[in-house]
Amino acid sequence: MWVGIFCEITEFALLFAVFFVARAHHPEAFQAGPERLSLLAGTGYTLMLLTSGWCVARALHAMRRGDRRATVRWMLAGFVFGLGYPTIKVFELQRNFALGLDGSAGVFIVSYYYLTFTHLVHVFWGLLGMMWVIVRTGLGAYTTEEHSGLEAFACYWHVTDMIWLMIFPLFYLLG
Amino acid sequence: MSPERKIGDRRIDLAWLMLVLLSVGGAGIGSSDANAVLVAVGVSLVMAIKLRLVCTYFLELHEAHPRIRRAVLAFCHGMPILVILTTAFGDTLSRLTGALVG
Repeated sequence: MWVGIFCEITEFALLFAVFFVARAHHPEAFQAGPERLSLLAGTGYTLMLLTSGWCVARALHAMRRGDRRATVRWMLAGFVFGLGYPTIKVFELQRNFALGLDGSAGVFIVSYYYLTFTHLVHVFWGLLGMMWVIVRTGLGAYTTEEHSGLEAFACYWHVTDMIWLMIFPLFYLLG
Repeated sequence: MSPERKIGDRRIDLAWLMLVLLSVGGAGIGSSDANAVLVAVGVSLVMAIKLRLVCTYFLELHEAHPRIRRAVLAFCHGMPILVILTTAFGDTLSRLTGALVG
């Protein structure tokens, strides 16, 4: 599990390095960048992912005390909030394209799409994994003593959440 | 897991509430007209606190192997520091990486 998580961290560490170099070479573009994006959408992603992560953490605790039904309920809630991320993404992309913020809109927007789409892919993997874990929990595959699959998923989801907590201020706040 | 290190549901709930408040408050810092380095320090501080909360209460990093814990914490602490340094010394970074970018 941790090998996979470290691959994810390494991938984003490289992308962040590219971001910092691009920002150093184009300070004006990056200074004006956040005003071109929707802070409401950025805050919305953050709240959805944090709330989804909270639900997953509560699900894991419910499993540890042997409450399978509560685990499924918390996981389903986590999935619904997790789905909020791609849902907001659809609305934000519609807004961005209407404002002409596509791949030709400059180095800031290109960096933004590159990092956030890579993160979106990781969120999709996480949502698929969450569906799998919900089904397995419902079928009784995990017990109080053995629920390493659920724990592995929870770790992945929280790290994906952490990566977003780094991306959010880089693009939406640092002007 | 030793009993004294267990994190209760209430603490997870409080951590989530703190994260939500910091996210909304952090957005306010970002929209201020203060000096760029000061904004970077404020935003980085909020980022570091949020990452620490997720590491402790959601990821339960204290349960992980010390090497894993150190590596993840280095990533989490390194990022806010890099934000401040690259904001304050952007010119230097630009000079140092000039050959790479061309």
